[in-house]
Amino acid sequence: MKIAWLPAGVVEGVRCACLPRKMPLRPLIGQQTFFPGRRQLSTTPVRSASASITAASPISFVGGDKKNSGDATYKDATDEIFYARLVPYSPSYFTAQPYFIDDVLEVEKLAQKYAALPVVKRADAPRIAWITLMEYRDIVGERVNASKYKKVLHVLQRLNQIHPTVMPWDVKKKLKQYTRNINPYKNVPKPGIVDEGGRAIGVGKRKSSTARAWLIEGNGEVMINGKTLSEAFGRIHDRESVIWGLKATDRLDKYNVWGLVEGGGTTGQAEALTLAVAKALIAHEPALKPALRRAGCVTRDPRKVERKKPGHVKARKMPAWVKR
Amino acid sequence: MILRNIAIRHGRRALAAPLPTSQLRSLSTETTTLPQQTDLLPPTFSNQSTLENSAESGPKQLRITQRLGQAKPYHRAKKDPQIKRDFQLKKTIERTTGKLGALVEPHYEPSQLLVDPPTPQDVTLELLMASQSHLGHATSQWNPANSRYIYGVRQGVHIISLEETAAHLRRAAKVVEGVAYHGGLILFVGTRKGQSACVVRAAEMAGGCHLFERWLPGTITNGDQILRRCRMKAIDQHDKELQGYDDKIENWQALKPDLVVNLNPIENYLLLHECSLNNIPTIGVIDTDANPTWVTYPIPANDDSLRCMQVIAGVLGRAGEAGQKRRLAAAESGEVTWLPPPNLGAPVSEAEKIKRNELKKEAILKKRKADHEAIEQSKVTAAQRELGDFDDF
Repeated sequence: MKIAWLPAGVVEGVRCACLPRKMPLRPLIGQQTFFPGRRQLSTTPVRSASASITAASPISFVGGDKKNSGDATYKDATDEIFYARLVPYSPSYFTAQPYFIDDVLEVEKLAQKYAALPVVKRADAPRIAWITLMEYRDIVGERVNASKYKKVLHVLQRLNQIHPTVMPWDVKKKLKQYTRNINPYKNVPKPGIVDEGGRAIGVGKRKSSTARAWLIEGNGEVMINGKTLSEAFGRIHDRESVIWGLKATDRLDKYNVWGLVEGGGTTGQAEALTLAVAKALIAHEPALKPALRRAGCVTRDPRKVERKKPGHVKARKMPAWVKR
Repeated sequence: MILRNIAIRHGRRALAAPLPTSQLRSLSTETTTLPQQTDLLPPTFSNQSTLENSAESGPKQLRITQRLGQAKPYHRAKKDPQIKRDFQLKKTIERTTGKLGALVEPHYEPSQLLVDPPTPQDVTLELLMASQSHLGHATSQWNPANSRYIYGVRQGVHIISLEETAAHLRRAAKVVEGVAYHGGLILFVGTRKGQSACVVRAAEMAGGCHLFERWLPGTITNGDQILRRCRMKAIDQHDKELQGYDDKIENWQALKPDLVVNLNPIENYLLLHECSLNNIPTIGVIDTDANPTWVTYPIPANDDSLRCMQVIAGVLGRAGEAGQKRRLAAAESGEVTWLPPPNLGAPVSEAEKIKRNELKKEAILKKRKADHEAIEQSKVTAAQRELGDFDDF
């Protein structure tokens, strides 16, 4: 939940409920409770009994020489006074976002401290999913500027590049603080499998068509729904589409294709098969993936028939304009 | 979408070219059946065509697959222990033989002003001159109020009198030390690019606050709103944190600085204005184009030089440090150099808080009971009155 964006009245309560950190909860000025003695609210001076004229207390000559030395010092001996004063919790008090500024300074200090350590290339550094700006705002409870947070992440990225064998523990701790709990980079698609019979299955979709294709090492035979390629597809363009993945990688005469396809029209079926064949081919030879991607066989085309809208004749067509 | 034309134009060439290592890495190269080394033919031209075009040859014998089979699997951030050993060796060499060789003459090291800033006693005209504090602005930009600090004109630029600078800097250092000695809150402000390091360092030394980004207008005059979420704590004369002030702190108004040190007054007019509204003294670095009446204690110097700013912030930070030290020493010997704010009083312990709460609860209950009784009483009287009315008939 993005607490920082909620209305000001709700924010405090929600945050106190959500956060483990102790938040100072002070009432708004408008709602401030009366605090006797803090401010003189009545305009007419009230003379209380204690404020009436009293004689000065007798002069103590015990620490007299110190008092006359020029410095205005107040003796600890006047034991009615309890010496306490209020100071900011953080030196960033007057920035109005002390938690964030303290964090920034801490990260920068670490980066400066370990600037001389050996580093790895940026691409070789372990990939970290940083906490998002919204999550960070909820953690610190302050309205953090997006560009400022980006600068912090930049410094953290530099810290992350420190060589893993010499990574100091305090840097590790800091990086962990900014790492998301879930690592999305662990979530990788499963590689396709080739079964004992040497077959690999691929599934593809396009428009309303769904296709399954089994690929087996062979000499270039293609069967779609029990028909040969030329029987299944009348258009040459469609026939070429089905075997485009094999053609673009020079594998036409190395594999046999056995496909099942249903739904949609011819173009949709043909291009659904393209995707299915390409996926099955990747299961056989994973190294071909970039080549197939360049040939345009790996990406699912997400375009579908656009729905009809009310007030339109078709998806976008408007009724003809009639004068009155 | 199939990009036929692009593939025809570029596909072959892209396939023929050796794949860059960055691509090989993304493939993970875990082929289910690795090419058999025995099956491979030597990659001559004639073999090439037989391999690629004959229907008999298996797909795993193709040139591209062979190359991929040879590629090493990639490990992210290789944990090579040699790097660590080399780094440790380098550190050892630096430690043992780093100081050998010719004596180095005293020289300027940029980081030194931050690591070990000069004290007010170290302020000399040479130091100020070396840090370019004498350079003002072009004569056309001057503020005539600064004429008393200007030594002369050189090449169309006003030169600030370093004697004035040194005198004013020492006076400002005295002020900072005095405020720190009496337990005041000092705020260091430098909002120009590059000033953050010296501002933070000075605040750290003087035990004050720092501000190196924009001054939020109203932080002093409307502090109760703006600093509502900023925490504060209660400390005693030895700067130890005190417990039992939570309730007081909740209702306490926002803190105000007791002294503001500003390195760029021209950009922070609002801050200085708020300070003057609240009778907060200010120290400011006044260049020849600034108005010296904006601040309480001007220091005529070049505010465009980062080195000069580091010297001035360092000197003031050191002065604050000395003041804090003196204050703590006095507290050790039993003297407290400050008075607590009125109405803060002694801390409330947990037991006492519970007791107070109970008393409060009791009072509320008593009041409720009394109210209830009063209502009952009024009901009874009303009923009696009604009965009385009936009697009249």
